[in-house]
Amino acid sequence: MLTQKAWSPYLAGLVIGLLQIPAFLIVETALGASSSYVTIGVWLTGYVDPSITGIGYAASHVSAAAKNWWQVAMVGGIAIGAFVSMKLSGARRAAISPIWSRAIGTASSKPRYAMAFLGGFVMLFGARIADGCTSGHGISGMAQLSVGSTVAVAAMFAGGIGAAMLFKRV
Amino acid sequence: MSILTAVIVGVAMGVVFGFALEKSRVFEPGVIVGQMQLRTFIMLKVFLTAVATGAVVLAVLNGFGFVKLAPKAALYYADIIGGLILGVGITMAGACPGTTLAQVGAGYRDAIYTLVGGLFGAVAYTYAQPMLSKTFLGEGAGKIVFTDLLGIPYWAGALIFAGALVVILIVMENRRPWRAELGNDVDGYFGPARPEA
Repeated sequence: MLTQKAWSPYLAGLVIGLLQIPAFLIVETALGASSSYVTIGVWLTGYVDPSITGIGYAASHVSAAAKNWWQVAMVGGIAIGAFVSMKLSGARRAAISPIWSRAIGTASSKPRYAMAFLGGFVMLFGARIADGCTSGHGISGMAQLSVGSTVAVAAMFAGGIGAAMLFKRV
Repeated sequence: MSILTAVIVGVAMGVVFGFALEKSRVFEPGVIVGQMQLRTFIMLKVFLTAVATGAVVLAVLNGFGFVKLAPKAALYYADIIGGLILGVGITMAGACPGTTLAQVGAGYRDAIYTLVGGLFGAVAYTYAQPMLSKTFLGEGAGKIVFTDLLGIPYWAGALIFAGALVVILIVMENRRPWRAELGNDVDGYFGPARPEA
């Protein structure tokens, strides 16, 4: 089973949902991912501009609170888990997914790298305005029946679908 | 809890999370963009299953008093505007903040650019936050949950919600079996083997 290339989405979703047990019981927080970008981003920026921690939002994300560094470690662990899973199944990936040459009309890598950088920037800027992403608002917020999170997830899909309709169908 | 314990727990949870993201293929740009083009539904299947599972888990843990819930405050303007921007970013990146790391681990090189762009985006927001939080984006209605509005206990609402999601998932699977949505090389891509330039 560990060497399979694909699991049922229901099995994978079940595993992800069960991660709320250690999150709530051990770390006393909900699953999330986008705060860790602030933690690492502010920590790195601190080497160039130490005054950034004068911003309360920055300081609270790089403080020695267990939650901050738990999430950074978890997001790093995601890369390790995906790497191990890929090695076990042999589902090697090319440098760039074949969908991009169809979606953006060029197979060369530089435009795609620029688009990925910009996409990452927009994604995190939006996630921080909304105070959460697919994990924090989506998986955790909706499971907690949060009204604000449900609104954020609906807006996220609306924005994502709107943008995707501008691409050629992949 | 010490930082060291938090980091060890975090890495262990992340490895499981990343494993499940890779196996489900939901981290694939073809699956994420495919979902946004309403062509494949693997992303919704994984997502709604995780929500339903989490709701059952929290109904039990909270219902028996083991844990307190921590819903985010409803900031409607920020939720809508931030959510729209986040969605556009997800489609451009072909990833969300968590799956970006799964893409890095699985070997997608463009995901490194997504990751770096994400760090810049998070820092840019941090510098703007003191100003933005004083605008309408900081206006909120507090922590509102649907069960409080309905006047029923959280655990009951969570179980009903999870049940409804299971029904939706069964209908979705009957219409679009997941195996048929995986694509040429479990990447959500159905086009020609050598994509045209």
